[in-house]
Amino acid sequence: MVRSKSQRMVRMILAWIVVGLFFFPLYYWMTVAFKEGREIFDIPPRVFNFTPTMKNFEEVFGISFGFGFGEQREVLPGGGNWYMTPRLLDSIIIAVGSTALAIAISTFASYALSRMDFRGRHHFVGWVLSTRMMPPVAVAIPMFFMFRDFGLMDTHFGIILIHALMNLPLAVLLLKSFFDDIPREIDESAIIDGASRFLIFRRVVFPMAKGGIAATAVLCFIFSWTEFLFVLTLTQTGLKTVPVVASTFVTSTGTAWGNMAALGTAAMIPAFIFILLVQKQLVRGLTLGSLKQ
Amino acid sequence: MSQSSAMQGRFWSFDRAWPWLLPMVAMLLVFTVYPLLYNIWLSFHEYAPLKRRLVYVGFENWQTLFADARMWASLGVTLFYFVVVLIIQLVLGMALALLLDSDDPGMGFLRGVLTLTLVVPPAITGMMFLLMEDPEFGVLSWFLEQIGLLTSSTPILATPATALWGVVLADVWQWTPFMVLIFLAGLRSLPPEPYEAATLDGASAMQIFRRITLPLMNKVIAVAVLIRGIDLFRMFDYVFVMTSGGPGTTTYTLSLYAWQQTFSFIKWGYGATISLLALVIILVIANLFIYIAKVRW
Repeated sequence: MVRSKSQRMVRMILAWIVVGLFFFPLYYWMTVAFKEGREIFDIPPRVFNFTPTMKNFEEVFGISFGFGFGEQREVLPGGGNWYMTPRLLDSIIIAVGSTALAIAISTFASYALSRMDFRGRHHFVGWVLSTRMMPPVAVAIPMFFMFRDFGLMDTHFGIILIHALMNLPLAVLLLKSFFDDIPREIDESAIIDGASRFLIFRRVVFPMAKGGIAATAVLCFIFSWTEFLFVLTLTQTGLKTVPVVASTFVTSTGTAWGNMAALGTAAMIPAFIFILLVQKQLVRGLTLGSLKQ
Repeated sequence: MSQSSAMQGRFWSFDRAWPWLLPMVAMLLVFTVYPLLYNIWLSFHEYAPLKRRLVYVGFENWQTLFADARMWASLGVTLFYFVVVLIIQLVLGMALALLLDSDDPGMGFLRGVLTLTLVVPPAITGMMFLLMEDPEFGVLSWFLEQIGLLTSSTPILATPATALWGVVLADVWQWTPFMVLIFLAGLRSLPPEPYEAATLDGASAMQIFRRITLPLMNKVIAVAVLIRGIDLFRMFDYVFVMTSGGPGTTTYTLSLYAWQQTFSFIKWGYGATISLLALVIILVIANLFIYIAKVRW
């Protein structure tokens, strides 16, 4: 459609305003992370006119950054050295572990669902999809008892298993769609040449789908990184991921907003970097492979 | 030919489908079918604090379930939230997608910025809005007071009439970009011919949208509704961190109610019963939708 120049200008300005509104909560949250105690509670709220400080980050991670915008702090309240750093490590271990497990299981399953004709294939896809519909709470309650009986409570391994399960429908359906993109004729001609299914998978299909597998892994990582309910339910004191531990900053005596915002901000950065890496596959990923960009 | 190759050969062979599927099937059986059966078993038992163990109670939990006013209230909240947020996100998402569907400089950057909200942990989103909606120092409360929409005596999240809307806002903020991205992908893949023909015939922008864009976007909209709908129905994180269900029962979702009964009130059997109800409702609605809207994977 032909549009006049002024129409385009109006549209552009409107787009910037709307996206700005969506960006505002993130921006404001980050300013809180850089604010000193009192400034968080000022009325009118300080949106631009605040004195940035690294104090919250220093308290949360128990390290003195030294370059804290001009001020040095010696006493670090909170929980002593490296206060929240182990929780960040917990998050990384769980996200990486569950992603690896989910990808390992689903590349095999997706290959079969994409390439082989067997009875009930359609039902398999439906079954995988309906596990995605289960409310997490309906899985978490029995898992709580199962984990207690098998000693999986409070272990990285237990949470890795449950996060891999949570990501399995996404990974299987998404990888299937990436495998579907690779023409079947390649497999078939290789079979005629005497190659086994496994050899085709390893030498042909897997290398060709590398980009899709990487994108799937990134999405699995993000969903494990941001997951809340399972970690809340299946851990007690031994380990916690960042979203869960941040929620414990809300206490009856008041909320440590600055610390919480600092932790939250630090937790968002890896996810932001990852999501910008997979922009091209994002729509396909978010729709479990059913829409292609 | 694949049909025959999958059938040929030895039982233990990668030429057959089942060795490929085995790890996934094992995982799904252990972690979804077993919990489902366990939930059903649990719903016929209840924890007896004095005996410190589970005792068989027959259909008591199921009878309680249907007579429980708080359960009906939270089912009502869940369905209301599901419908209202879905409609807001659909309409707003479509409007923004139409706005951003352009190749003008900067639009790609704006689309990228919009995706950032999708990767914020929902629990942290909840806390972001908890802070902004704080009656004393929240920037959003302050702004609404300035333009006269709110008085200082109505804290958003502690007033029954507004609490759920405070939660709705967090969800709309975080997941409207989800709709925008999906709709944008749909809009960009539309064929140009119908538009050219319609413009030649002098159709108005509104007519073009209703008669051409919407019908062509059918499948895209159906997929977006399905995926978003599933997540809306089982929403937990926002209410858990923002309101814990209060004030009263105005922000209890089924997921939160089941979780609290199980882990806060140690009613293991009853919590399992509520979660089963939620499970059945979502499976029925979602599969019905897939059938009616003919969504294919």
